[in-house]
Amino acid sequence: MLDIQDLHAGVDNKEILKGLSLNIKPGEMHAVMGRNGSGKSTLSNVITGREGYYISKGDVRYKNESIIEWPPEQRALAGLFMSFQYPVVMPGVNNTYFLKSALNAKRKHNGEKELDAAGFLKLIKEKLTELDMDTSYLQRAVNDGFSGGEKKRNEVLQMLTLEPELSILDETDSGLDIDALKIIADGVNKYRSPERSFLVITHYQRLLKYIEPDVVHVLIDGKIVRSGGKELAIELEEKGYGWLES
Amino acid sequence: MNISSFESEFNKIMRRDYFTSHVKPIREQAFNNFLEKGLPNKNWEDWRHTDLKPIKEIDFRLSEISDAPAHELDITEFGLDDVHTIVIYNGHYQENISSVPSGVRLISLADYGDQNAWKIREPNDSPFDLLNTAFMDSGFCLTIDKGIQIESPVRILYISSTEKNIMVSPRMYIDLGESSSITFIEQYEGNCNEYFLNGSLIVELKENSRMSHFRIQNNSVDTVNIGNIHVQQDSASHYTFNQFACGSRLGRLNLLADLNGKGAECFINGLTLTNNIQHIDNHIVTSHNAPFCTSSQYFRSVLQDRSSGVFNGRTIVSEGAEKTDSKQSNKNLLLSKGALMNSNPQLEIYADDVKCSHGSTTGALDQDALFYIRSRGLDIVSAKSLLIRAFVSEMIEPIHHENIKSYIISKFDAWLNENTVQ
Ligand SMILES: Nc1ncnc2c1ncn2[C@@H]1O[C@H](COP(=O)(O)OP(=O)(O)OP(=O)(O)O)[C@@H](O)[C@H]1O
Ligand SMILES: [Mg+2]
Repeated sequence: MLDIQDLHAGVDNKEILKGLSLNIKPGEMHAVMGRNGSGKSTLSNVITGREGYYISKGDVRYKNESIIEWPPEQRALAGLFMSFQYPVVMPGVNNTYFLKSALNAKRKHNGEKELDAAGFLKLIKEKLTELDMDTSYLQRAVNDGFSGGEKKRNEVLQMLTLEPELSILDETDSGLDIDALKIIADGVNKYRSPERSFLVITHYQRLLKYIEPDVVHVLIDGKIVRSGGKELAIELEEKGYGWLES
Repeated sequence: MNISSFESEFNKIMRRDYFTSHVKPIREQAFNNFLEKGLPNKNWEDWRHTDLKPIKEIDFRLSEISDAPAHELDITEFGLDDVHTIVIYNGHYQENISSVPSGVRLISLADYGDQNAWKIREPNDSPFDLLNTAFMDSGFCLTIDKGIQIESPVRILYISSTEKNIMVSPRMYIDLGESSSITFIEQYEGNCNEYFLNGSLIVELKENSRMSHFRIQNNSVDTVNIGNIHVQQDSASHYTFNQFACGSRLGRLNLLADLNGKGAECFINGLTLTNNIQHIDNHIVTSHNAPFCTSSQYFRSVLQDRSSGVFNGRTIVSEGAEKTDSKQSNKNLLLSKGALMNSNPQLEIYADDVKCSHGSTTGALDQDALFYIRSRGLDIVSAKSLLIRAFVSEMIEPIHHENIKSYIISKFDAWLNENTVQ
């Protein structure tokens, strides 16, 4: 599904990803852990096409196609999704309107009929219930005045609505209370399927108790230095990152 | 238009006889004062950012009756439900397609002047008001008597048609009696290449009266639109002004509101959309001359291409105007690197116990927000228009009158479609 080969990328004159390789197969759940500033969000941004990063070497392939020249919307329509570490606040942009436009852009792209207001409302209400969110979210502006945890829930709501095939969750667990964490984890687990893959970025083994990863990667200074099973996360929690540094 | 072409047009209007002789000395006086001052230039403090070249470089002439052949005119495209419209076509009143609701007294400027022995309130001695007095042509007065509430809005629709390098100087009076109310729309339309409109409007709100005033400046982007508005408010009167401006090569609004009676409320709002080489300048002065008055100035602009704009808002709180509550806010969105905005909100406070705030921001579209939207599958044009729409929604959403609101939204949508580019 996602194949990254020897990726070197950065901003201005600063190389942040220094030869990163990663392969995610359909249905797999990968976790990436690493210190602050090691390049986790940069990796998410480069995969989803944020402007401002250069790629000097390597390739990002999604379903066997190189996507590094694609604009972000093309990647999204092809099935990529990122839950932002810092969701953007957009005063004046209505949440329902935004999500409905995004969903309909995707349906149109897939050759499906666009949903009308009633059809969308029915669908979104189901998702809201799943995430234990109340309908007042729908009238509000996107992330405007949302608490940290509410913003993260809103990201997951978007994921469940847009139904991506590869979802990147960049610290979606940060800022969530214990109950919310369970609700979100349940949502993600229900959403898992043999066709859907995940890249979960987290600092805490706690999340991985609820969402069991197939592979855990450790990112240090722009490179994956170790990959293993879920027990690697437990080991990291005990020992920190120091022992993996060369 | 240089001084000698102003002079020759002035001699022409002095020879016209459809105004009473009373008006001639008033014109003469105003024109002499104008000649003394001359047209403003960039050395004048209030005109620092506005170039009057579009007026100076074309010789405008007075409009003749023959400039407005009524059979040419079709106003169906300006249809607005439940609104009474007064039509002025190339400077001439179109009586047979005009109407006002009952309760509104519509009289000509000539009759209004005669009825008041020409002791009528003149605007002030700014050059464009003086020019307006010297050249005033299509003139009206709307009077609403004490206690009368006019339900259906009254619109004055100015239409200019192709290739007429004419100069039109409408003078209007609106007198609202005690506890009366009206919704009034000024609308400017037309596809002229050369046209110079310089209107002065004098509004008087008696105690407890209410006026909701809309100004839709949708005339051709090649023409000049100067609006001089003078508002006088008695106690507990309420005035709301909403301008929607996307027309004019050169646009300048001079709005002066005097809050003279205790507890008056005055809310002045403007949304400006410009592209190409348009320049729109909003110059607003709100004077608090009595205690317990509330006012606001909210202006937003969206500027595309090399267009430019000015917001010059001043709120003056005079001595004794205690408990004044006033807000000023100006926000501007630059859609291209070549666009330019000059924003200058000012407060002058001479009273003690007041609550005043002001602020101004100018910037481009938020790159993070653009990426966020695109990362959800919307293309860049949709992403931009979503953000532009959000930016203007705070100006449009509060409009109470549903018909007028959707009318303005439809004009905004048309602009947005043309001006949102990759
Ligand atoms: N636009 C940028 N300009 C300058 N430096 C940047 C930029 N983006 C990222 N960096 C730098 O690159 C490094 C990696 O940043 P990144 O956000 O990818 O880290 P992270 O692993 O996600 O950290 P965290 O766990 O704190 O979220 C940091 O040192 C950061 O300061
Ligand atoms: Mg990060």
